[in-house]
Amino acid sequence: MGMKLKALLKSPWVFHLSTGSCNNCDIEVLDCLTPRFDIERFGMLLAGSIKHADVLLITGSCNRQSTERLKRLYDQVPKPCVVIAIGECSLSRGVFIHSYNCPVPLDHIVPVDVYIPGCPPKPEAIIAGVVKLIQKIEKGNGKR
Amino acid sequence: MTRDEALKSIQERFPNDMIEFFDKSPKRVFIEIKPEAIVPVARHIFRDLGARFNIASGVDTRTHIEILYHFTMEDINLLITVRVKLNQDNPEIDSLAPSFHGANWIEREIHELLGVNFKGHPDLRRLLLPEQWPQGVYPLRRDYEEWDKAAVRNRGV
Repeated sequence: MGMKLKALLKSPWVFHLSTGSCNNCDIEVLDCLTPRFDIERFGMLLAGSIKHADVLLITGSCNRQSTERLKRLYDQVPKPCVVIAIGECSLSRGVFIHSYNCPVPLDHIVPVDVYIPGCPPKPEAIIAGVVKLIQKIEKGNGKR
Repeated sequence: MTRDEALKSIQERFPNDMIEFFDKSPKRVFIEIKPEAIVPVARHIFRDLGARFNIASGVDTRTHIEILYHFTMEDINLLITVRVKLNQDNPEIDSLAPSFHGANWIEREIHELLGVNFKGHPDLRRLLLPEQWPQGVYPLRRDYEEWDKAAVRNRGV
């Protein structure tokens, strides 16, 4: 594991991006930040700018307009970065799979490290997914 | 203004343009009119009756392309839906955007998704679809077929 990645995992700053979701996953992500679940105990903090972020947290089904914005944002994240897909829509587009406006799934656009299924996933599931990702990278099994 | 007064004023003012008047429930009325008469009817409901323009919705049915203009009168709890049926080969109708601004964006959306030509619209650009979308392909038409060869339509499992 590289020094950069180790530093990243100590306190991952998260940028939250919705690519056309119904906002239910976004509400669950915000739930994670509340004192009840308190994701800050893992050092996670919501970053206001993509240029401060280590983790890109993506919800939604990637429609044609937001795919362009997503690519532009992914180019701006300081590398190495980790991409987390949250919710059924960003995994496989859910019920929108045959939609004229959602041609390709998220993992064909950017490389995804963690998939968290659910519609929406519970905050516990999101935290479990992130913790599993940190363990995976610490063991050296990560993609990077 | 009561419910009866409002409906009577529409019926009396446009007797020749009215095709069907359907009083569905105390809260809901459907009025089908000729497409040429949409501007005076909508202006009458909006200006004289003081209704709010809620939204318009476009539907591609088997025989026609329908546009439903929904007007609400909150003080008497009434939703008036004005329906027009347009020709499927060349759907066009006068624009309501010069009469009230609320119709501007929804007409742009119906234009790009259903291919209805709104005559007299000030700015009939695309609203939601991307620039790469081909001209003359309307996704909410019944005969829409996938044009994007790069699209992935399986879940990858």
